[in-house]
Parts: sequence; structure tokens; C-alpha cells
Amino acid sequence: MSEPTRQRTNLLRLALHYFRFNLSAGMAYSTSFLIQVFGMALNNGAFIIFWLVLFDRIGAEIAGYGFTDVMFLWALAASGFGLSVVVFGNTHQLSRIIYTGELDVYLLQPRPVLLNVLLSRTVVSGWGDLLYGLSLFVITQPMSLTGWLLFLLFTILMALVVTAVRVFYHCLTFFLGNAEGFAQLAGELVISFMLYPGSIFRGPAAWLLHSLIPAAFVAYIPARIFASFDPGTLLIVLAADAVIVAAAFLMFRLGLRRYESGNLIGSRM
Amino acid sequence: MEPAIQVQGLRKEFRLRTKQPGLKASIRGLLRPEYRTVEAVRSISFQIEPGEVLAFIGPNGAGKSTTIKLITGILYPDAGTIRVLGLDPHRSRKALAYRIGTVFGQKSQLWFHLPPADSFQLLGSIYDMSRKQTQTRVGFLSEVFEIGDLMDQPVRKLSLGQRIRCEMAASLIHSPQILFLDEPSIGLDVVVKQRIRDLIGRINREEGVTIFLTSHDAGDIEKICRRAMVINHGSIVWDGSVKELKYSLLNRRIVDVKMDGPATIEMPGVTVVKRKEYALKLDVDLSIATTESVITALMRQSAIQDITISSAPMEEVISHIYARGKGDT
Repeated sequence: MSEPTRQRTNLLRLALHYFRFNLSAGMAYSTSFLIQVFGMALNNGAFIIFWLVLFDRIGAEIAGYGFTDVMFLWALAASGFGLSVVVFGNTHQLSRIIYTGELDVYLLQPRPVLLNVLLSRTVVSGWGDLLYGLSLFVITQPMSLTGWLLFLLFTILMALVVTAVRVFYHCLTFFLGNAEGFAQLAGELVISFMLYPGSIFRGPAAWLLHSLIPAAFVAYIPARIFASFDPGTLLIVLAADAVIVAAAFLMFRLGLRRYESGNLIGSRM
Repeated sequence: MEPAIQVQGLRKEFRLRTKQPGLKASIRGLLRPEYRTVEAVRSISFQIEPGEVLAFIGPNGAGKSTTIKLITGILYPDAGTIRVLGLDPHRSRKALAYRIGTVFGQKSQLWFHLPPADSFQLLGSIYDMSRKQTQTRVGFLSEVFEIGDLMDQPVRKLSLGQRIRCEMAASLIHSPQILFLDEPSIGLDVVVKQRIRDLIGRINREEGVTIFLTSHDAGDIEKICRRAMVINHGSIVWDGSVKELKYSLLNRRIVDVKMDGPATIEMPGVTVVKRKEYALKLDVDLSIATTESVITALMRQSAIQDITISSAPMEEVISHIYARGKGDT
């Protein structure tokens, strides 16, 4: 086996190990685990009623989006976000890990630092989002193999991009001291914007959603492809998502040179 | 043989944001931030041979932790070269990580809610060890560190001493050649401290692991280390054997003497610390008086039954170094 292949296999092994490890850590408190998972699914479910009422009052379409289209966005947002926090559960802690000096532990291990940090924790309620997203897709969307494949692909892309956007903004902590609040806000903005029909945003807002808050590349354009498959547009989405992920890695790499560590007392939760 | 650690002209600065107290100053700082540069490590050079046990000591803020973080590849240096086991810690971070272990008394590498056995398995996977290799190594370490009974208890339920033993086992899971210990005995009681010291000594003897230890505890330094390096204000102010450190740095001797009859002494540089019948405890400042002149003066008065001359306790040596550091500022 060549060295890069061996490294990739080992990384995959580690990712699976972290996944099993985090799942068992989450289940250490089984009641809490179940409450978080089903609580999140229930919380998300409440919003369907809101949209049902809205479409009932306004009519069949909002800026070209029907109820099924909006539900596609919701299913994608929930499953993509769920997958993101289940697999890369440490993302929302990244600023704290940087400014408390907790990054030391990861820098001392023979693994790619960023992936090691992100994979080493899970957010239990993410399972609720993931289950909810998949269920919503099954309930509201027409079933077809292509549809399922596209949905799974977009879920994975969404998980990667949401993680990358949050990482990008959390990395500002390397330069500014603490960008935790800002990074949380940026992550929430991506999710919030992608839950509404993309066509209602025009001008500068539309530009923003194609750049700093790239909801367009994880929701609106995938929704268009899902409705009417176009390989060219899919390639553009893949390229744009790759650029966003690469930008996050680059930002982390640059930040690492500025890392100042710290001596706060801490535990791995 | 290649040195375990080789450091040449190592320098590291930090840029700190300064702010005067009060709301007005906070607003001013927001618009026009002010910074000052702190030189944490000032061009230090040293070499450590394989199998050495080194105490790296100095007061708080002297540059100890920064130096360890530079050597282990956590921080990037501003200038200088570092070679650890022949590797550059920044260019070969991953390769080096397989060969060094670290215990930061203040930071844990164990998962708080899970038993140590789970963390060990995961760490084995992080270090590319097979399940069987990990199990064999964990078996050996649990015997050495006597943690067999603790393996299935969540870390949050362990005492500090038990946790540190597990932390040390975790840092040795991949059989490193160098072990960095940053204040491992912080907060531990006397019995547990002694146990940790014995374990460090055993790992050094049996596995030939080079030990790089920072501690404020005199006992750690005196009982484990053969060589000491003192850092203050980012510069190395002493490098030699622990024995020499005690004898030369603090130019004082404690003379415990038991006389046949009454005796007293009044001599510049000599203080009577304790007197009980014919027994005296004297503190002799060797820059003013000699032990020989003290003994001669005592013998003129009465015969000496028993005498012990010792250097000052390590605690005093260390507080002397720290006090000298404060005086320099």
C-alpha cells in the first residue's frame, strides 16, 4: 500500500473509531441521549405546521417555491446540519479550543490537526436533526433512486460546507483573540437563510448568499438540481463547495502559525 | 549517539494587547489598540542526551512552558533551530508525535465521561496501533502504574492522583523515546507525589525514556533528576547537575553539631538557628565565613561529639533563585 493510501485508510479508521467512541460517550447518559434526539426531532417538526399554515394563507407558491420545495430545503438543512454536528461535533467549540490552548493536545498527536479536532466530539442532538431530515425527505418528496442519491450527496456536501464555513470564522480567533460569537452567528446565518426560498433574495443579499454566507451552494442550487437535474450545474456546486472547504483548511493552516497556546486547566468532555 | 534534544538560539516573542482599567480606556482600546511585546524565550541553546532525566525549573512566567511547547512543535519559534530525535518539530510534527509523549498537569488527554480503557483504545488508534498491540501495551502500563482497578471507572470519578497515573499511562501508550512532563505533581499529596516520582524513575530505567520535567516541587527535582536547567526571564541562568545546583547556587551550609560541653559562637556570617543544651544548628554563609573556621572556633570551647554539614534544602535553593529573579526586574 502506498504511503498516501495508507494514511487515508488510517484516517478513515480513526474517523470510524471516533464515531463509535462518541456514540458510546453520548449513550453514557442514555435518558439524556434519547431526550436530546427526540426533542430535536420534535422541535424541528413544529416548523412544518408553520409552513403549512403559511402556504394555506398565501397560496400554492412563494417566489416559485411550493410546499414540497420548501420541505426539501428543510429536509436538506436538517440532515446536512445533523450529519455535520454528529461527525464534526467539535466545530462549535473550535474558538474555545484555540483560545484556551486546548489545541496543544491535538498538535501533539500524529494526525491532521483540524480533522482530529473536529472528529473528536459529537453533538448528540444532531442525531435528532439527521433522523428528522431523512424522515421529512421520505414523507414529502417523490421517491426515486436518483432523488435519493442526489439527496444523500447534497446532505454530505451541506455537512462539509456548513462545517467549513464555521471553521473559517472560528479561525478568526487565531488573529482576533476570540471570534466565537461571530462564528456561531455565521453558522446560524447559513442555516437560517437556507430554510427560505432562495428566489426571495435579490441584489446584495443574493451576492452575500453566494459568498460569505454560501447558502446558495448548499441549498438553493441543489434544490434546483433536485427539481431538474443538470450535470453542468452539479459540477459548479461541487467546485464551489470544494473552494469553500479548501478556504477553511487554508485559514486554519495560516492561523496555526499564529497560535499562542495557553495554560488554562481543562478536561476533554 | 544523536542527542535527544538539540536547541540552538531559540527565541519566541508574544505580542500582548494592553489596556488601562475603566470603561473609557476600553472604548479607546477598541478604536486604537495598544500592544507590547514580551520576549518569552531569549535565544536559548542546550542539548539533552538520550536517557537523561532533566529538571527544567524557573518561576512562573519564566518561559518553561513556552520552551516545552516550542520543542514539541506546538508553537512556532521566531528564531533558532530545534532538533528532537533528529527531527524538526514543525516540519515533521506527525513523525515526531509517534516518538514523544507529554503530560501536562493542567490538561487532560483522557475523556472526562468515559473510563480510561476507552481513551486508551482510542489513543492506540490515533497512534496507528493495532487492537492487539494496544491491549498488550495497556496491560503492561496498567501493571506498572497500578491502574487495573481504575480502567472501567469514568475519569470524572477518579481522584487527582489516580487521574495523573492514568494520564502518564496514556502518554506512554505508543512507547515514546522522550517524555515531557509539565508540572505532573501539581496539587498532589505527599504520598502520591512520591509514587509518581518512583514511576517516572522506573520508566526512565526500564524503558530508557528521556525525561524532560518542569516542576515547582523541590522533591521532584531532587529525587528524580540528575541534571537541572534553570530558566528566568526567558534565559537559561543555570545548567548543571542537581548536586552542583544545591552546592554552588546557594552559598550556604547548615552545620548540626553536638558538643561535649557548653559552647557558643559569635562570628560574622554565622547564625545560630537552634540551640538545645549542647547541640547547635548553625547557618553558615560561605561568602563570609568558612565551615573550617566555625569548627575550629567550636573545638576551642569543647570537644565535638557529632557533626553533620549539609547544603541548604532544595526548597530554599529554589526560592533563592526565584527571589533573585524578582530582584532583577
